[in-house]
Amino acid sequence: MTGEKENPTVATVQTVHETELVKSAQNGDRSAFGELVREHAQGVLNVVHRMCGDAQLAEDAAQETFIRAWQNLSSYRPQTSLRNWLYRIAVNAATDMLRKEKRILPDDIDDLHLPDGRPGVESLVSQQERITIVQKAILALPEASRAVLVLREYEGFSYQEISSTLDVPVGTVMSRLNYARKLLKEKLQPQLSLLEAEHV
Amino acid sequence: MSDHVTEWLNAYLDGELSGRRLHQVEEHLAECETCQSELESLQGLSALLQEVPAAESISPERFAAQVNLRLPHRPVKRTRNRIIEVGWWMVPVGLLAVWIFISTAILVSDMVSAANNIGLLDNGTALLISGTAENAGWTAALGQFGILQGNSLHWAEFTESFSRNVLPQFAWQVSIALLYLAWIAIWWARRTRQGHGQLLEG
Ligand SMILES: [Zn+2]
Repeated sequence: MTGEKENPTVATVQTVHETELVKSAQNGDRSAFGELVREHAQGVLNVVHRMCGDAQLAEDAAQETFIRAWQNLSSYRPQTSLRNWLYRIAVNAATDMLRKEKRILPDDIDDLHLPDGRPGVESLVSQQERITIVQKAILALPEASRAVLVLREYEGFSYQEISSTLDVPVGTVMSRLNYARKLLKEKLQPQLSLLEAEHV
Repeated sequence: MSDHVTEWLNAYLDGELSGRRLHQVEEHLAECETCQSELESLQGLSALLQEVPAAESISPERFAAQVNLRLPHRPVKRTRNRIIEVGWWMVPVGLLAVWIFISTAILVSDMVSAANNIGLLDNGTALLISGTAENAGWTAALGQFGILQGNSLHWAEFTESFSRNVLPQFAWQVSIALLYLAWIAIWWARRTRQGHGQLLEG
């Protein structure tokens, strides 16, 4: 993403090439579509992984994303960003997967209290635990807010990009993001204080 | 001190503010400790979220091969969409054709009747169109039985003639116009929706 911004010439060339690939794929060219899959696989996987918090589920959701993309390729408009179009499908695919796999949905976060402030070898363990807690807190967010948070925090999307990817107004993006962060701050209060203490 | 800028702190943190709003938030932050600490806690949250590692790197080749195995043979919806699309554009063309056909039929029928009335047609041809010239219907029958008389008979005849000749013409013109308007309305709705959000759900 930052690469595109820093080097607009390359990005434009890629886009022209990509448009050609999309056109071929729309006419049923599987190898052209395969090239698009290779190009966007990691990006899509990153998004669904943040959305699901589970590696296996994420890979399923990523595959599902590209299958849906193939089936609906005719509705993609070439003048828009293919990546954003794929990410929207990815967000929906991840949400559907999570609904099917209720077992991954967060049980009580409060079960996982940290052993506070132990130094040394155990800080590595505690960091792993902290990550698990953060992941669970993200999973516990309402779907709509989670999607906005993931695109903002992990993909570095601007509000405008999130708005066009998820097809919601910028105002809605802002309110969902505010809400997501407010919930996370409440849930992760102990971890936040701990992190602060580590960095002081 | 002015009001807190809490609701703008997220946008400020994300670099989404500009112009007067940015200036306002910066000025407020310089003098308000509450908002400063709120901003710090948002920054802390961002840092905490960044601790979660990204998905592991995958081999794009392997992944693409797996996707390829699961792909249906063709983007099926495209050909189906195309048929629907062609059918869709045939609707106004069909309506226009029906309208031209019926108008022509009525025009020809009127001209033939007129020609018949002024005696331009011989008996054979006149016989062929005698059905259209036949105006006596149920009113005449009722008149014969003496049920309708005088003014009421005249009025009933007029009503029957009107409902037989003028009303159908009017009715089909209106219905074709309505169908056409409905088509335009749907077309407009589809166009607006496509322009609004081209992306599919799921
Ligand atoms: Zn303040």
